[in-house]
Formats: sequence, C-alpha cells, structure tokens
Amino acid sequence: MLNSILWTPLIFGLIAMLVPKRLAPWTAGAGAVITLALAIAVLAGFDPDGGMQYVVDTEWISGLGIDYSLGIDGISVFLVLLTALAWVPAIAFTALRGVERPGLYYFMLAAGETATLGAFLAQDLILFVLFFDLMIVPFYFLFGIWGRDRDGVTVQSATLKMIVYTLIGSLLMLVGAIAVGVIAADGGPLTFSIAELTEKGLPNGSQNWIFWFFAAAFLVKMPAFPLHGWMPDSYRAAPVASLAVFSAVLSKVGAYGFLRVVLPIMPDATELFQTAMLVIALCSIIYGSFMAFTRFDLRLILGFSSVAQLGFITAGIFALNESGSEGAVLQMVNHGLVVVPAFLVVALIAERTGSEQLGPMGGLAKRAPVFAVIFLIVTMATLAIPASANFIGEFFILNGIWQTDVAIAVIASSGVVWAAFYALRMYQRTMHNPLPDDADSREISLRDALVVVPMVACVVVLAFSPQLIVHSSEPAVAENVVSVFDDAKAGTEGEYVASAGAGERADGGENHGSEAAGETGGNGEAGHGEASQ
Amino acid sequence: MAIEWYLVLSALLFGIGFAGVMIRRNPVVILLCLELMLSAGALAFLAFSRMLGNQDAQVMVLIVLVVAACEVVVGLGLVVAMFRRRLPLNVDEMKELEG
Amino acid sequence: MSAATWAWLVLLFPLLGSLVIGFGFRVLSTRTAGLLGIGAVAVAFFCGIGALVAIQGEPSDSRYVASSLWEYAAVGNFKIDLGIYVDPLSVYMVMVVTGVSTLIHIYSYSYMKSDVGYHRFFSYLNFFVFSMLVLVLAGNFILLTVGWALVGFASYALISFWYRRQTATDAGMKAFVINVLGDVGLYLAAILIFSQLGSVDYETVFARAPEVFTTNEWTIVAICLLLMVGAFAKSAQMPLHTWLADAMEGPTPVSSLIHAATMVTAGVYLIARTHPLFDLAPTAADISALVGVITLLVAGTIAIAVTDLKRIIAYSTMSQIGYMIVGVSIGAYSAGLFHLMTHAFFKALLFMAAGSIIAAMANMQNIDRMKGFGKAMPFTAAMLVIGALALAAFPTTSGWFSKDEIIDYASFRGGIYGLMATAMLIGAFLTAIYSFRIVFRILPGPPCDEAQHLIDTGEVVHGKPVNPHTLEPEDTDVGYPGSEHHIAEQALGMKIGMSVLGFLALVGGVLQIPGVDEVVFNFLEPTFADSELSHIHPSTSESWLGLGKGAAISVAGLILVWFLYMKRPAIPPALVRRLPHVHALLVNKWYFDELYDFLIVNPVKGLGRFFNEFIESDLINGLTRGTVYLVRTAGAGVREIQTGLLRSYAVLMLFGVVAIGLYFLIRSI
Repeated sequence: MLNSILWTPLIFGLIAMLVPKRLAPWTAGAGAVITLALAIAVLAGFDPDGGMQYVVDTEWISGLGIDYSLGIDGISVFLVLLTALAWVPAIAFTALRGVERPGLYYFMLAAGETATLGAFLAQDLILFVLFFDLMIVPFYFLFGIWGRDRDGVTVQSATLKMIVYTLIGSLLMLVGAIAVGVIAADGGPLTFSIAELTEKGLPNGSQNWIFWFFAAAFLVKMPAFPLHGWMPDSYRAAPVASLAVFSAVLSKVGAYGFLRVVLPIMPDATELFQTAMLVIALCSIIYGSFMAFTRFDLRLILGFSSVAQLGFITAGIFALNESGSEGAVLQMVNHGLVVVPAFLVVALIAERTGSEQLGPMGGLAKRAPVFAVIFLIVTMATLAIPASANFIGEFFILNGIWQTDVAIAVIASSGVVWAAFYALRMYQRTMHNPLPDDADSREISLRDALVVVPMVACVVVLAFSPQLIVHSSEPAVAENVVSVFDDAKAGTEGEYVASAGAGERADGGENHGSEAAGETGGNGEAGHGEASQ
Repeated sequence: MAIEWYLVLSALLFGIGFAGVMIRRNPVVILLCLELMLSAGALAFLAFSRMLGNQDAQVMVLIVLVVAACEVVVGLGLVVAMFRRRLPLNVDEMKELEG
Repeated sequence: MSAATWAWLVLLFPLLGSLVIGFGFRVLSTRTAGLLGIGAVAVAFFCGIGALVAIQGEPSDSRYVASSLWEYAAVGNFKIDLGIYVDPLSVYMVMVVTGVSTLIHIYSYSYMKSDVGYHRFFSYLNFFVFSMLVLVLAGNFILLTVGWALVGFASYALISFWYRRQTATDAGMKAFVINVLGDVGLYLAAILIFSQLGSVDYETVFARAPEVFTTNEWTIVAICLLLMVGAFAKSAQMPLHTWLADAMEGPTPVSSLIHAATMVTAGVYLIARTHPLFDLAPTAADISALVGVITLLVAGTIAIAVTDLKRIIAYSTMSQIGYMIVGVSIGAYSAGLFHLMTHAFFKALLFMAAGSIIAAMANMQNIDRMKGFGKAMPFTAAMLVIGALALAAFPTTSGWFSKDEIIDYASFRGGIYGLMATAMLIGAFLTAIYSFRIVFRILPGPPCDEAQHLIDTGEVVHGKPVNPHTLEPEDTDVGYPGSEHHIAEQALGMKIGMSVLGFLALVGGVLQIPGVDEVVFNFLEPTFADSELSHIHPSTSESWLGLGKGAAISVAGLILVWFLYMKRPAIPPALVRRLPHVHALLVNKWYFDELYDFLIVNPVKGLGRFFNEFIESDLINGLTRGTVYLVRTAGAGVREIQTGLLRSYAVLMLFGVVAIGLYFLIRSI
C-alpha cells in the first residue's frame, strides 16, 4: 500500500514526460488524484491505537544495515494525506494556465511529491535522509527553469542560495545519521532502523553534537530564524504553484524530522537543549511576524508568516509534552492546508493587478465577492481565529509551552496578535480600500474556484471538528513524546489533576516510561536520573 | 651488463623529451616529445623487469604502449581540428582556460 | 423540549440565515434577503422564549443545563466539548441579544435599502448574532473564546463594511487587533485555569475553584486579570478603549447593534459569568471596578466635548459600560445586567435616531451643522428625546431604575465603594449633560439647510457622495454607502424598530422597581445564588433615596444644559475660548491615540525597520554574502596558478611528481 502511494506520482510523472504535451497535465493530475485516493484509503484503514502500520520492510544494502522500510503512524498519516492533497491543486492550477516544457515540469513536480512522501514514510534513518535530500532536487529545477527574475533577484542566485543552504544542512544531517548508526552499533552489526535506534539509545556526549547536526538541517528546511536567509530570494523567484506545495509541505518535513528522529533517538540532548530550541522558536515567531508586517511583497508576507507559524510548531514540539506536540502535529496540517490556497490566491491577485506588491493594489473585492470570501477565510485561518482548527493547534501549543515555561508562553502568545495584524493587513490592502484604475476586479473563474475551494473547504470542516485529526494522532504522539518526556513533568500539571481524574493516565504514562527505561538499559536510567534532578 | 646504463639512457630520453615539451611550441613536436618520455618510462620498466626476473613490468609496458597510441590519436585529432579552424599551431596562444 | 434543545435552535437559525443569505446572494432578491435575515433572528428570539419557559419550569436550585454536541478536541486530559451551558444568565443574554437584534434587523431592512452590499450586510449581521449567541451560550472557556473572537470578526467585517473607504478599513483593523489582544488574554486565562483546575468546563471550574484556591491567591488574581484583559478589550474599557470611537465608521445599524447594544457588553457578561472566580479574587474585582469608574468618568468628559454625533454616543456607550463593569465587579450582578438590558434599549434607540438624522444630513455627522430637526423630523426627534432621557436616567425612564441601582449598591457597601458611588454620581451628571447636549444642539432652533429642505419638499437632500471625515469624493457602488438616504419618517421598518425600542426604553424600568417587583433580580437569582455578594441588598427605602438622588442629578443636568444652550448660547463657545487646553484635551480624547502611537505603534514600526534594515539585510544576508566573499577571495588566490600555458602546467606537474617521489624516498631511508 505505502509502496504504491510512494511511487505512483513518480511513475505517472515519468509517463507525463513521454506522452504528448497535451496529455502531460492530465497524466500528472491522474497520478496525484490516485495518490490522494490511496492516502484516503490508508486513513480509512488506519487504527489510531495501532502504532506503526502498513509496514514495508525489505533489506536494501545489507552490508551497511540499511533497509528499505516504510510505515505510517498517527504523526505521519495526516502529513501524508496533506501532501497528497496539496499536490492536486498545484498541478491543476498549473494545468489551467499551461507551462513551457510541460512534460519536464510535471515530472519534476511529481518527483517532488514522491520524495516528500518518502520522507514522511521512511522508517529507516538513511532512507529518510535520502528522501529528505532528494526533495530539494526537483524543486531546484522547478525554481531554476520555470522561475522568474523579480525585484533584482536573479533565479540563478536565488536557487543557488537555496541549494547551498539546504545542502549544508543535509550534509551535516548525513554525517549525523551515519554517526548515529555507527555509535549506536558500538562495534556490533549496523542498523539504521529508527525504531531500533530509539531502543538502543546513544551515549550522552555524542547525542549533544549529533542533535545540532540534525537540527541544522531541519531548521534550514523550515526555515527558522536565523537560518532563513535563502527563503526571501527563492520565494520571489519561484513559480507560484510549486511554491505553494513547497511552502505548505516541505517546510513541515523539518518539523516532522524533529518529532520522528530527534526526539526519540536523542532524548537527553533534546531535554538539554530544550530552552535553546524554545528561544530559537520564539525568535522565529517574533522575527517572522515583524518581517511579515513590514514587507510589501505578498509572497514574502506569506513566507515570513510561515517562519512565524513554524516557530509556533517548533515551540510546541520542544515543549516536550503531549499538549505541545499534539498542537504541533495539528498545526502542521492546518498550516499546510492554509498555505496552498493562500499562494494560489496570490497568483490570482497578481493576474488581476499585474503585481504582487501591496502598494499599488486594493479594492479587488468590488466585483469579486466570492474571491474575497475565499481569501477572507484563508486570512482568518492564517491568523488562527478561534473557531478555526489553527486556533486549537496554537492553543494546545501555548498550553504545552505554558507547562514548560510560563514566560516563553506569554511572549509567544504575542505572536497571535502580530499574526492578526499581518494577515489582516494583507487582506485589507488587496481586497479592501480604493480600487486603483489599472486593477481589474474580476470574479474568480469557476475552474479556478474548483482548484482552490476544496482546500478551503477542508479548512472549514476542520474548524468544526479538529478532533478528527487530534483523535487519530494522539496515541502516536503520546507514544513518541509523552512516554519519553512527560512523566518527569507530571507534577507540574496542578495538584487537582494529579489527585483526581487524571490518575489513570498519569499511571499509564509512568508505566510506559519505566518500560522504555528497562528496554533502553543503562542509558535510559541515566536519562531518568537527569530528568528527576 | 649493469642496470645503471639502462636507467641512465631512460633518464636521458626522458630529459630530452621533457626539454622538448618545454621548449617547442608546435603541438606535433610536443606530441613527439611526449612519446619520447613514455618510451623512457617503458625502457625503465623493462630494465627493472629484467633485473627482478619477473614479467609484471612487461604488462605495464604493454599498457603504456596502448595509452601512448591512444594519446597520439587524440593529440593528432586535436592538431587536425586546430588546423581546420585555421588556428595558429602554437600552444602558447591557446590559453583560454586561464583562470 | 428541554432548554438545551431550544438553545441549540437559538444558535441554529442565525447561522442558517447567514449561510443562506451569503450563498444565495446571486439568487435572492434584496427584499427576500432582508426578510430572511429578520426572520432568522426573530425565530431565534422565539426559541429563546422557549428556553426561558423551559428553564423556568425547573426547580430554582437546578436551573441549569449543560449539553454537548460532540467532542471538539481532546488531548490527554484536556477535553473540549462543543457544549453549551444554559442557565438564567445565558437565557437572559439570549433574550436581550435576539430581541434587540430583531428590532435592529427590521430597522436595517429599510435603512440599508439602497446599499449595493445588502446581502452581504444581512449575512454578516446574522453571523454576528450567531457569534454573539455562541459567546453567551458557550459551556466552556474555549467555546467562549470562539464566540468572543467570532463577534470580533463580525465586528471587523461590519466596521469595514464600506470597504473602499480607507478610514473604515483602518478602523476595522484597529478594532480587530485590539480585540485579538483581548482574545489572547482569554487564551492565557483558559490555559491557567486548566493548569490549576484540570478542566475548562464552567460547571467543573466553578465547582472546583473554591476548593483549590484560597481567597486572593496570586493564581486566581492572575486568572481574573487575564479575563479582564479580554473583557476590557471587548467592552472598550480603558486602556483598551481606543477602537470603539473609530468603529463608528461602520453603518449606523452596526453601531447600534454591535457597538452599543450587544457585543461591547460582552465584557460585562464575562465578569458576571465568571463571578465565582472574581468572588475569590476581590483584589482583581476591585481593580476591575476601579477601571470601570475611571472609564466612565473619562469617557463622559470626552462625550461632552466631541462634535461627531455618532462618536458622542460611542463615548457615552463606553461610559455606560463602565457603570455595568462596576456593577458586576462589586457584586451588584443583577443591577449591572439590568443596566445592560436597558442600555441596549435606549442606546440602540439613540443610534437609530442618530442614523435617521445623519441620513437627513446626507451622511454628515457633525452636530455643529445640525439645527432644527425637531420640526423637520418629529418622530425621530421624539425618539431621540426618549433615548436621551433614558440615558440621562431621567425619573421613571428605564435608565433611572437601572443605573441608580448600581450606584445604590456601591454606596450601600461603603468604604472604597462609597467613593466609587460618588464618582458614579459625578459620572451621572456628565451623562445628563452630554445626553441633553445632543438634544438641545440638534432639535430646536432655526432649521439648517438640510432640515429646511426636508420641511419644504418632504425629501431628503442627496449631495455628492463624499467621505464625511475626509471629504474625499466617493461613488455609490458596492463598498460605499448607497445612493439613497432613508429617514424614519419615510421608512416603515425604521419606524417599527424605533418605536418598539422607544417604548421599552421608556417603561423597561418596571421590571425592577425597588419594593414593588424585582423581576430581573429574581430571574437571575439562581445563577448568582452561590455568591455572598449577591445577597447584600440595600433596603427599599435606601433604594428610593438613591433614586431620588439620581433624579435630582438628572434634572439638574437638564436645567444646566437648557440654560447653557437655550438661555445663554454664548457661554459654551466662551468656555471653549477661556479653557483652550482643557477643550483640546477633551476633543483629542485625552490624547490616548497619540500616546499609543508614541508608546506602541512607533516602537513597533521602529523595530520592524530595524529587523528589515539591520538584521535581515546586514546579518542574514551578510551571512550569505560573507560566505560568498570568502569563497571568492580564496578562489582568486588559487586562480593565479591557472595561467592556461601548457608548459607551466607541465612544470608544475613535474615538480609535483618529483616532490611525491622525494617524499617516499626520504621516508624509505
């Protein structure tokens, strides 16, 4: 099942390259739709309490202990679904507009999907690193070939910057991954299975430097302050449909990597550097927000708002408790769902005004009420208005951080206010205010609406019941995070909780913790000792 | 006969070849000199083979000969190409690869 | 049917109305859209009555129902239900909200008739009612926050309803951002409540709070202060009040419904709803009362000086909400909520009358230009007078009973509250002055041009459409006000809405006459039974003494204003000339906007510039540029060797080979 999800886009992408130009978008589109259908089927058969499911495990490079091993659990299932979902409008949007060299374009786009899905599905560290690095390749070409020079930024310099930043991070991660395998093997047979590595554990000293090797790769990909230097130029140069999926999904792989790799394999280092990571997240929130409301380029506003949102997600993950991590998982999906329509709306706005700068536009709602409402919903979800699932995500994140550090939670909550400001500013200066003479206030066409509306509809549906996601991802989050970190903090949840109601759950957590400690042996005990201090 | 003489001859040949490469500007002559240097190497191999009494070095000589033949083909091909484009047959004037 | 079912129906109809009108904007005629809007809210009102009857049928110690549709989100032991909580307080609020909303919808049906965005208006208005009902019916703090933010959104959408006016959109943004600040207060309060009590459901929280907290413990005070941030932002109390005056950019029915009658009183509801927490944190409650007192005084002084008709009423709203906040903070819950209801009546009425007059003035709002409307628009004038009398707490009007009840309670509690009562009496005097100022400036005297035109031709003046503040030219297409102006004299819908409210504003006080009947008090009693403060009750004679004081102040204000504007009209301008600084201070609203520009807006902008110019371009890009520079310089050094000369390469190669050979040679020795 996972094999077919993973390779369907690539196969259809290859076919798209071979068929006549006219059929290329249809082929790629069919691939994306089939992938989406498969992803939905996986979700339908998904058992929230079943741990890792649909496992595929084949030996690949036996001498090095590298397996071709795929699997899906509560953390990745919605990210896989998000990926499959996001690619459909991206392909459809381009298909409606046409593109030069369509075969190659759709092949690259499809290859990007396969690589991204691979990163979400991989259960082998080397496989993960491989897909993680492969992701950037098709996007390098997508941005480089179909991008445009804009505002004095050349495509070459932008893509070069992106690839250099990403590769430095990736190479560090590769070194880290190999080091994890070698050190964990400790002279024995090599293995890179994430589950086995989690069990074996790493000695404290090596965790500390390997942690930063992985963090570098993930923080660049997100991007997080101060490693976002590649983002403004690439976002300006990129073709908008591929930028939409890039911003919506690829940034999540970074956050996902923390949850999947860093937290389980390097728990001691995670706990050690928790505050540092929270501070980085906080800086991203504040810095991203400030940049978002001082910039005029719509793409950059969205880009920097992503920096801020990913800051929230990182903060949630590094709250190292269930509420924060669950909020982060929920928010990853929410943010992805919002960003795709947001970028497509930006493209539609650019078609109407001939510009992506906030200065010379406004009043577009005049003849386009439906378009305005679509953008309004996207805006409100971006600023995480209560009633949107984004709010629940942010709320759980803040709640998680609060349990860890009240001061950081209070400062982070200011990000909510800044978000209101930059998102509304974007909406108001495009849709509201006087309409300039040369702008064309045109209603969204039915075909474009069909591309954009499904994602917006998902946002609306989730607003009524975020529990749809929370319910299925909670057990996995609990297993990945709570059992490792939360038992040390059970005391901080308030006397009342500890004494009444929550007794059962707290006990469960402890049992989990002791089991894990037993399995990991000496290292686990060391971790516990540190935590209890 | 002592091995030294062979080696001295080989060194002389190599020196002459190298001097030719250094001094002459005509690519054809430079190729000739390169052949000379390769032959010097081959001669040294043969001498050592004789001295040590095993045949390994002779295999090397065969390889050197093959490489030399290939090199001459490529080199002369280049010379012909230059000639066709009416470029001056002077290696000092072909320095487009300058950094 | 149970009260909960009725309550769900109350929520359902406005939402349906909003969706049907919103999606059917191409299909429905304007008439149908308007009627649908009115119908949806009216049905909600009747369902509210159903809930009222159902809940009154319960014995008084179990007059509450909690009901949940589905689990909204649950992580670990943090469980959030999509649940409502129906008790007398929420039913009371439902009645006020749906009742006043229905009347304002009827008014809007005529008032907005020629506006091109008619469907959008009614869709938003119904959505607002839905959100407000979510707010008052919510069964936990999260759903409360949801309603809280959704009314903020509806308020934003309706303030910037004329969205091609930059002044309107800026005002909407300001309102929204300040309200989000309040929302964050609620988020943090909910988080803190959960971390201390392990739940966010009202029932559990209020039951556990007295067990967990000791009185005035810092955590409970912090919770209450955070709740107050939310309440003050929404209810335009100082220091988060600056958005309300700007919010008057919205259409007048919006000002009437959202920014006078319902949404802005949400803060009062919040404090009343969370009274079990505030009872445990008297310090926070006192701070809240103090803020209310300061706001009512400051807003009152501003209302005396400004000349924009809608802004005068807006500041008066702030001031009256100040009274309510004081009321619910010091324990006079039913009095505060009673004032909330009467205020909804007379303030909505005042805005409606003002809307009618502004329409007659072709959207000009400056009272300096208005004269003689008493003769030109007798019905509107009568309604304006009723509204002003009730606002000024003139004897026998509804405002008299409600406002003075709060003041009585405060003076009855004595101590610091006695001081507050005195301040509130001063505030009442200010109220009387600005209420009657509106009346005497607009109604009597020789008619101004617009009023004269109305008297002569029976038609409203239609000037060139302009922005009333900046005088920029506009058109009448969507995004700007419509081409026609409608006044109450010529529009049935406006007349109906206003006369019903006028009646209620006059006689609404009979619900709560000391010593005679105490309908509101008795109805709300089950909700507040757990609070000791609610059992403190001034005696009937004391209450009547307070009412006498209030009547005297109100009449004194009337006489003073009559003297100033009718007898000696030269005095007010002379006062302005004699006290230019005071006048400037008041007209500029105590310079709060300027202060915030200086303290917050400019530093934030500066920080943004600093990030852009220094960190982004120097540091972040510097990182990239520095790397590039490093590679380039290193490359430049190595490049020297690349001469392109064949022979130099050959020499280098030879040297290299010789060097390697020598190395091995030396090592072998």
